[in-house]
Amino acid sequence: MALVLSVLEQGFIYTILALGVYITYKILDFPDLTVDSSFPLGAAVCVVMIKAGINPYITLPVSFLAGGVAGLVTGLIHVKFKVRDLLSGIITMTILYSINLHITGSQANVPIFSDDNIFTLSPFADKLGEYNKVVVIFVIMLVCKILMDLYLKTKSGYLLRAVGDNETVVTVLAKDKGIVKIVGLVIANALVALAGCVMCQDQRFFEISMGTGTIVIGLASVIIGTNVFGKLSFIKTTTSVIIGSVIYKACVAIAIWLGLAAIDMKLITGALFLVILVLSNFRKAGADND
Amino acid sequence: MKKFLSIMLASAMALTMLTGCGGSKAGEADAQTDIKVADNVKIGIAQFAPHGSLDNCVEGFKQGLAEAGYVEGENLEIDFQNAQADMANTNQIAQSMVAENVDLICAVATPMAQAAYNAAQGKIPVIYTAVTDPVAAELAKEDGSGVGNATGTSDKLAVEAQLEMIRKFQPDAKTVGILYTTSEANSVSAIEEYKSLADNYGFEIVESGISQSADIPMAAADLASKVDCISNLTDNTVVSSLPVLLDAAKNAGIPVYGSEIEQVKNGCVATEGLDYISLGKQTGAMAARVLQGEAAESIPFETISEYSLYINSEALAALGMDCPEDLKANALEAAETE
Repeated sequence: MALVLSVLEQGFIYTILALGVYITYKILDFPDLTVDSSFPLGAAVCVVMIKAGINPYITLPVSFLAGGVAGLVTGLIHVKFKVRDLLSGIITMTILYSINLHITGSQANVPIFSDDNIFTLSPFADKLGEYNKVVVIFVIMLVCKILMDLYLKTKSGYLLRAVGDNETVVTVLAKDKGIVKIVGLVIANALVALAGCVMCQDQRFFEISMGTGTIVIGLASVIIGTNVFGKLSFIKTTTSVIIGSVIYKACVAIAIWLGLAAIDMKLITGALFLVILVLSNFRKAGADND
Repeated sequence: MKKFLSIMLASAMALTMLTGCGGSKAGEADAQTDIKVADNVKIGIAQFAPHGSLDNCVEGFKQGLAEAGYVEGENLEIDFQNAQADMANTNQIAQSMVAENVDLICAVATPMAQAAYNAAQGKIPVIYTAVTDPVAAELAKEDGSGVGNATGTSDKLAVEAQLEMIRKFQPDAKTVGILYTTSEANSVSAIEEYKSLADNYGFEIVESGISQSADIPMAAADLASKVDCISNLTDNTVVSSLPVLLDAAKNAGIPVYGSEIEQVKNGCVATEGLDYISLGKQTGAMAARVLQGEAAESIPFETISEYSLYINSEALAALGMDCPEDLKANALEAAETE
C-alpha cells in the first residue's frame, strides 16, 4: 500500500509538470528544454521562502510566477531574437542553473526537514494520516487541471491550440502568433516550477541537480497518456496526461521492485517509449487505411 | 463528473496494477517469517551514484556487518539499489525500500540519505554514510545527536592535516588550487573549510568551479597553470574525471594531492585522508548496533576515527619529489594497501 501511495504521490506531482510539457510539446509543438531548470527553480524559490519563515502555501503561487518568468525568457529569446526553439530552451536552462544557485545563496543542497510545509500544515493532516500527502498533491494537481481545461476553452486558449495546429489561422485572425507562443511557454514553465515547488516540499530538501532528466519524465508522461488514452473521446487530454504520468511512475516503481539493475532503468524507459510510439503509429496507419 | 470518474478510473487502474504485484510479495515475506530465526534481517542499501569511493563504502559496510555477525546470504538479505545520480530515482528507491518494510536502510551520499530519511519518516532506521556535513543536511542536530531514527558516518575531510602535509611536501608553495562542482554541497563546504584554515599554513586557496564534467579539461588546464599544487576533494564529478585533472597537472609540472586512498592509487601524489572501506566498516558496525535494538537517534553520528598518510612513490618520483623524511615512517604506499 505504501508503494501505491508513493507512486500516486510522485505521479500526481509529475502530472503538474506534464500538463506544462503537454502545452509546449503537444499543443505548440515546441521542444522546450527550459523545463530541466524551471523545475529546480520552483524548488529553489520554495526553500528560500520556507527558510525565511513564509507560509508554505504562499510558495505555490510565487514559484508558479517565477516559472512563468523563465518561460517568458525562453519565449522572448525565441520570438524576438529569432533563435531556434530547441536552442532558446537550452539557453534559458543554462542561465537558470546559475540563477538557481544565486537564489539559494550558492547552496547546492538545502534541507527543510525541520520546517513546516504544505503537508504538515494541511487542514487534513490529522484526519488523513498517511493519505494526507497524496490528497494534498491530488487537490493541487486537480486545480491545475481544471484551470487549464477552462483556459483552453477561452479565446486565448483557442489561439494557443491554433498556433500548434496551423499558424496561418492565427495570422489570418490578425493575431500575433509570437505572443501566443510566449503565453504558452509562460503557462507551461509556471506549471513546471509549481511541480518543482511541490516536489521539494514532498522530499523536504532542495538539490540543484533535481531537474536533470525532468523533460524526459514529462515527455514520457505526455506521450504515454495521449497515445494510449488520447483516442478515447470520453477522456479529456488533460486527464490522459494524469494517467500517463501515474503509469510512468508505476513502471519505474515496478522496475525497482523487480530488482532490475539500476543501470538498465534508462534502457527500459527508452524501450517503453519506443513501444508506445510504434504501437500508436501502427494504430494511426491502420486508421488511415480504413 | 465525467472528469472525476476518469481520474478515479486512472487511480484504480494504477492501484490494481500495483497491489496485484505487491500482494504476492507480501505473501512471500509472510512465508519467510515462519522459518526465520530471530536474527534474520533484511536491509536496503541505497547508493546515490556509481562511483569508486561510494562503492568502497558499500563494500566496507557489508564487511562491518559481517564482523558483527550479519553475513549476506546467511542471516542477512540485502536489497541493493543505485540511483545513478538521478534525483527522481533517488526518491523512488527510498520509497520502495520503505514500502518493502526492510529492517534498516543504509543510504550512501547526501541526497540519498535525505531521501531515505524523508521516506522512512522515523518508522525505519536510516544509517547514512559518505555525508560530509550531517548537521547542514539536517540529518543530525548541532550537538551531533541523531534526528528521528537516523544516524551514520560523515566523510568530512581532514583539511587541517591535509594542509599541514602539503606544507611539508612543498615548503615553498604559495597557492593551492581546488577544482569543484558548484552543484555539490559537500565540495562547497569543504572549500569553506580550506579557506578558513589556509592562512594558518601560509597558503592561498584558488578555487575553480565547474558545472559539468565537460568543463573539466579547460578548467583543469587553467587552474594548473595558476597554482603551485592542486588538492583534490571528494567531488563526485571531478573524481570521475580525475585522469583529466592529473594530466593537466602533469603538463604544468605540479603535484595533485588526493583526499582518499583510491585517488592516490590512481595517480595523486599523497593524501592525509580517508579510506572509504574503513568508513563503511565503521558504518556497518553502527548498523549492527541498531539491528540489535539500539535506537538510531541515541547514537551520535561519527566521523572517520583515524586518518592515514597514503603516498604514491611513483607519482612523486615522476615530479622529482620525495616524501619528507619526518613523514616517511608513517606513510603507507597506497598501491600496496588492501
